[in-house]
Amino acid sequence: MEAMLNLFVSTRGSGKMMKEFLLNTGSTIEEGRLAKGGSKLTEDYTQECAVCEMNPGDFQDLGSPQKVKITSRDGRYSVAAYAHPEESIQSGQVFMPRAIWSNVVVDPETFSTGSPLYKGSPVQIEPTKEDVLSAEELVLKLYVRS
Amino acid sequence: MAFKNIICPVCGASCDDIQVELRGSKIVTKNACKMGNAKFWEIFSPHRIREPLLKESGSFCTALWDEAVDRAAMILVKAKRPLIFMGSETSCEAMQVGLHLAEFLGAIADSNSTVCHGPTAMGIQEAGRVGATAGQSKSRSDLVVYWGSNPLESMPRHMSRYGVYPRGYWTRRGRFDRTVITVDPRKSITARNSDLHIQLKPNTDYELLSALLTLLHGKKPHPSVEKVTGVSISEMEEMLERMLGCNFGAIYVGLGIASSFGKHRNAEAALNLVKELNNHTKFVIGALRGHCNVAGFNQIASYLYGYPFGLDFARGYPRYNPGEYTAVDVLREQDVDAALIVSADLVSHFPAACARYLAELPVACIDIAPCPTTMISQVVLPGVIDAMECDGTFYRLDDVPVYFQPFTGSPFSFTDSNEDTMKQIFQKVKEMKR
Amino acid sequence: MAEVLLQPKGKIGIMIEAEVIRADTLAKKRGEEIERLLVWQGPVQLPLGDFFEVEVRGTGQAEETVVVIEGDVSRVKRIGQGMKTGKIEILGSAGMHLGAEMAGGSILVRGDAGSWAGMEMKGGLLQIMGNAGDHVGCSYRGSWRGMTGGQILIEGNAQSQLGSGLVGGQIVVAGNVESFCGIRQNGGLVLVKGNAVRGAGAEMTGGTLAVLGKIKHFSPGFVEAGREESPKLGDLQLEGKFARFSGDYAISKNPKGVLYCKEG
Ligand code: SF4
Repeated sequence: MEAMLNLFVSTRGSGKMMKEFLLNTGSTIEEGRLAKGGSKLTEDYTQECAVCEMNPGDFQDLGSPQKVKITSRDGRYSVAAYAHPEESIQSGQVFMPRAIWSNVVVDPETFSTGSPLYKGSPVQIEPTKEDVLSAEELVLKLYVRS
Repeated sequence: MAFKNIICPVCGASCDDIQVELRGSKIVTKNACKMGNAKFWEIFSPHRIREPLLKESGSFCTALWDEAVDRAAMILVKAKRPLIFMGSETSCEAMQVGLHLAEFLGAIADSNSTVCHGPTAMGIQEAGRVGATAGQSKSRSDLVVYWGSNPLESMPRHMSRYGVYPRGYWTRRGRFDRTVITVDPRKSITARNSDLHIQLKPNTDYELLSALLTLLHGKKPHPSVEKVTGVSISEMEEMLERMLGCNFGAIYVGLGIASSFGKHRNAEAALNLVKELNNHTKFVIGALRGHCNVAGFNQIASYLYGYPFGLDFARGYPRYNPGEYTAVDVLREQDVDAALIVSADLVSHFPAACARYLAELPVACIDIAPCPTTMISQVVLPGVIDAMECDGTFYRLDDVPVYFQPFTGSPFSFTDSNEDTMKQIFQKVKEMKR
Repeated sequence: MAEVLLQPKGKIGIMIEAEVIRADTLAKKRGEEIERLLVWQGPVQLPLGDFFEVEVRGTGQAEETVVVIEGDVSRVKRIGQGMKTGKIEILGSAGMHLGAEMAGGSILVRGDAGSWAGMEMKGGLLQIMGNAGDHVGCSYRGSWRGMTGGQILIEGNAQSQLGSGLVGGQIVVAGNVESFCGIRQNGGLVLVKGNAVRGAGAEMTGGTLAVLGKIKHFSPGFVEAGREESPKLGDLQLEGKFARFSGDYAISKNPKGVLYCKEG
């Protein structure tokens, strides 16, 4: 938990750029429209929700990548999403619509409250060439054991 | 056929002014927002789940209703410790059956309200709450604080119907009679439409609230609070001055309070602030409930069993201890071995460790459209859409019950509503246990 | 002296609740009797013998009975709950509610303890050699009165809400604590030798809290009230220079809580 409130750690190990951010997740109107409309397994939903918004400065520091890989604090889970620079976000933070992509990396610790850290989970972010998966592909890849 | 005053079953605003026109297999709505609209179109959507599905060696096949209900009941009866999860987009009547079923089985009953405003409910248990109905706030409030909430995206009509724009008896000029303050680490669209935006650092709500309370008690907060929260003490004083200067203030807390680091302690501090402000002027506080009827589970569970969420019936009587009996925790700790999930998409909305364990368990679900949770289930029962296809009760964001009537019927011959489906499962469970 | 040895038989699936594992409950019982005692697993009650090999050595009164759990019981809750006398020693880690409402005797855990250890403890000694979860020595949910007596010693770290609503007794943490340690504290003593993340002493109205390491987010409602050299808190002698604060002014206009922070 010590590391939890460290806002910004930059590690440039192994020639790779990786940074620690605080992940904020939340509703967006389009996510709401698609989810309530039963469209969670559609391409539109992926385009709307598999998105990681970040401060333009941080975006540049990461080399203005098209896609980023977001990894949970414990390093156990990661997910690829489209990176979007967004003025409204402070440096050191990222925003993702609340959906399966963001929840893959949300910290499951609830501090004995029953509610996980949907806002303020520490995550690692690096540029990636990995494909952004659809909700369906993500479930099959991460959750369903064959 | 045109229908008036239909209740929208999508978010906690429970708008009761939706007009619906059915033209053959087309539907035209008036007054609903984007999110609401999308759900009304679900009635005829091509991806609607219309038949019961059973998973056989990894893939789904359609099944007879009775067979599917049987399988769902079997999953529950065979389990040592099942989880009954009641999503929020269904009626209180269905939730009630779910709670009774959990009691009968000695199971755990939980709902979305836990991961939504569960911490707020816990804060209320610690500190008590000064509240008001949405109508009260609409008529009286001349100052609105959106704290950790972004209604323009999560409850699109909150500002226009209840919070900011409506003209009430004492707020005749609508928006012009109101000051809007937003507290959010993001310059959200709501923040951009506010008179004052307090842009604090994430995970520092507790410190900001604590500093405001200290100021109210006549002391200067410890100076480190400026660096911690990113908000200067003079900004805090300005905010407080505006709050003390109003006649009727309303604070709407969102998940920025309930979900961020600090959780129920954040909510408790916000509730304490409101209590304290009432020594100076009138102030109320309420939660912006993202999902429709997410308040309902808290209400029903509280009046039936004494606790608002995360109930454990293992010993025959209800027990409550968030962190021990709550869905995220029992899944993370692998402390349940089967689940019945009603109108909720846990696989999408729970952290990976929980979703992954859930995917290993026998799961039955009731839903209207395919989603990650239906994908990992063994039994999928088609859901009926409350407020469109059947009647029932929702609780609005301000804990006011709203009775809804449908404008069309259940599309299925085998069930009238999710309540009906739950009763059928319960009946089967009783027969099997006999 | 009597020794009751409990050897876990294998992995436990759904967690069990075993408030029968108390030195004073197991005292003066034969092995077979102990095996037949019931524990809860979900909604069913099963004999303790399903989960543990039981061996009893010697005889003696409850005060001289030692229960030794020879393995990991992190999926066993409520061990030692309400215990009044005797001793429990756990060689591995323990589950939630360890020694909750304990009134006397002692419990020693060689590994970690789950959340709610020593909740509303009234007396006795609870010693945790590893780390502890949330809510150590705290009050029941919604109550503002927690532990009233006894002693809790933690060699490792503790998570959040340690000593919430503390009325009396003493908690010493050798490592770090996370958030809201000593929240609503109104008596007693908490000593944290390591660091605290945030909310240390938040909403405190009485009692004493001392933090020797750093506090990341200092509670804004504490006001500096002087400096002290090597203060003595009860029977604990601290070394070094300390800043003394009073608070928490966020909860009251006249709070009596004292927070000591080590300088330098
Ligand atoms: S604000 Fe909420 S209840 Fe009202 S129409 Fe939109 S989604 Fe429906």
